[in-house]
Amino acid sequence: MIPALDVRDLSLAIGGARVVDGVSFAVRAGEVLALVGESGCGKSITAFAAMRLLPRAVTMTGGQLLLEGNDLAALPESRMRRLRGRRMSMIFQEPLAALDPLSTVGTQVAEATGLRGAAAREAVLAMLGEVGISDPARRIRQYPFELSGGMAQRVMIATALIARPAVLLADEPTTALDVTIQAQILDLLRRLAAERGTAIVLITHDMGVVADIADRVAVMYAGRIAETGPVARIFAAPRHPYTALLLAALPRLGDAPKAALAVIPGQVPLPSAFSAACRFADRCPLVTDRCRQEPPPLREMGADQLSACWHAERVR
Amino acid sequence: MTAALTVADLAVHYPVRHGPPVRAVDGVSFTIAPGETLGLVGESGCGKSTVSKSVVGLQAPTRGSVVVDGVEIVGADRRTLRQARARMQMVFQDPATSLDPRMTIGAAVGEPLLVRGLARGQALRDRVAGLLAEVGLRPEHATRYPHQFSGGQRQRIVIARALALRPALLVCDEPVSALDVSVRAQILNLLVELQRGLGMATLFVSHDLAVVRHVCDRVAVMYLGRLAELAPRDALFAAPRHPYTRALLLAVPEPDPAAQRAKPRVPLAGEIPSPANPPPGCRFHTRCPMARAPCREQEPAWRQVGESMVACHFAEEVNSPGVDKPGC
Repeated sequence: MIPALDVRDLSLAIGGARVVDGVSFAVRAGEVLALVGESGCGKSITAFAAMRLLPRAVTMTGGQLLLEGNDLAALPESRMRRLRGRRMSMIFQEPLAALDPLSTVGTQVAEATGLRGAAAREAVLAMLGEVGISDPARRIRQYPFELSGGMAQRVMIATALIARPAVLLADEPTTALDVTIQAQILDLLRRLAAERGTAIVLITHDMGVVADIADRVAVMYAGRIAETGPVARIFAAPRHPYTALLLAALPRLGDAPKAALAVIPGQVPLPSAFSAACRFADRCPLVTDRCRQEPPPLREMGADQLSACWHAERVR
Repeated sequence: MTAALTVADLAVHYPVRHGPPVRAVDGVSFTIAPGETLGLVGESGCGKSTVSKSVVGLQAPTRGSVVVDGVEIVGADRRTLRQARARMQMVFQDPATSLDPRMTIGAAVGEPLLVRGLARGQALRDRVAGLLAEVGLRPEHATRYPHQFSGGQRQRIVIARALALRPALLVCDEPVSALDVSVRAQILNLLVELQRGLGMATLFVSHDLAVVRHVCDRVAVMYLGRLAELAPRDALFAAPRHPYTRALLLAVPEPDPAAQRAKPRVPLAGEIPSPANPPPGCRFHTRCPMARAPCREQEPAWRQVGESMVACHFAEEVNSPGVDKPGC
């Protein structure tokens, strides 16, 4: 089966800085892939590239973007515009910033269907019900400012999914929400992936969210994929020192309180200072000379796990 | 020993032009002992930040009392307030907006000492160097400006400034929420070290329960302007006595796929009601999986159950087996 979205060797540059460098991942129908990393790792810009919505300052310098087997990079903008919202959609962290403040919920969700009149209204009411909005007949007359954060996120999800796209790119969709509302939205995304077969690329910084909903994970660091694999493997046996440290730096409900957390020394380098060799070398406890000379390729570590580390076997 | 902070029946009501006032905080009481860290948790709009602002005198309460290190803040004259402020300091979420971009780090950290005439010249520079060392920065950082530092380093600077006057009480409002995971761990480690070394009391306001559990000794849970539960950390996390506490704990996604997917799901129905128009009876009853007739009519008393203080008619049942079964 061809993947719903297949990103191959994507490279993006801002001026001379290679902010995304040879990133590849694929997501199949019904699957949730988490793209995880700290701020500045390139995860959001990768999603914008997949939508062909890059800001002017960013250029795609290499790679392929295959949506259901079709190369998006080769499409004229007019064709691309027809695919957005129909075959691939995107949702964002701040739903109230993404919704049109001047149109009602009903109008904006209907716009994505291409339908009119009673048919559109029926489709919208059904979709709002599906994303867990109670009393949809009342909600369609409301404006975004009348919605809570969780409700607005449901409206954005309804707008994104009403045309039954093959791929949903979700950029930190629950980061601005409270935990009890976050749990509702994650359950909703999981159900939509399972029932509608939507392929979801979930961009997040939260390892808890990844553990909850993702089937597979790609951990990004400084514009590259550090490690990728099935979620259970990555959490149980990380094979990149960055993933291992990231997991050890989290306070957990089961740990001894006030015990020292693992610390990653230093900070994420600026894109202008990205190394041609391993970009994590300066912060890595396992660093050797080789790490500073040659970029480590993604290597197969068994069970579908790939790690871009020369010392993957030594990661604890 | 006197408490570092005593908050009694604190209420903050915001008037609204049309309709009833927004009761952001509506009768909250707690104390913090010297050296103790109390976590204040809850979802957005629950009133936790309003409590922290009232404690440091940035928000005048509608009623109630706030006593910091033996001094009443509410209704205090400017002189008393100025003296009291030396005993309490605050650390906010966003270190970028807490620092003056035109002021060197040394000037920012030394300002509290200079303004109060406690040190100047070489003595001041030595104190600043000592404070910077205390938070893991180097003395030469004193001559640099905020933009030359990362977010985590800026939060260290803000903490150094807060420590300058050796306050009896430190109020931290979401101090690590804007920071990336790897940096957050550094700041949490620093806060725990400082607690041990300085014996300051801390009010730690956060929405992140894993973080609160990591740094706090006791935890208070707020919902719609009231305390739902207040308990020692281990008791609260092992055996929550309020259904809201339990739902919050279960809603936190844990970074462990097997454990996370095996957890019971306790979906809280609906949304947080408006604090302008809180539900009658128990304020949580509209979303509570255990709600029954008395919850809709009668406000629950604040009472002791096990090690917890809790406001729930049915607190004894919250941890009983079968609480998640339908019909309960």
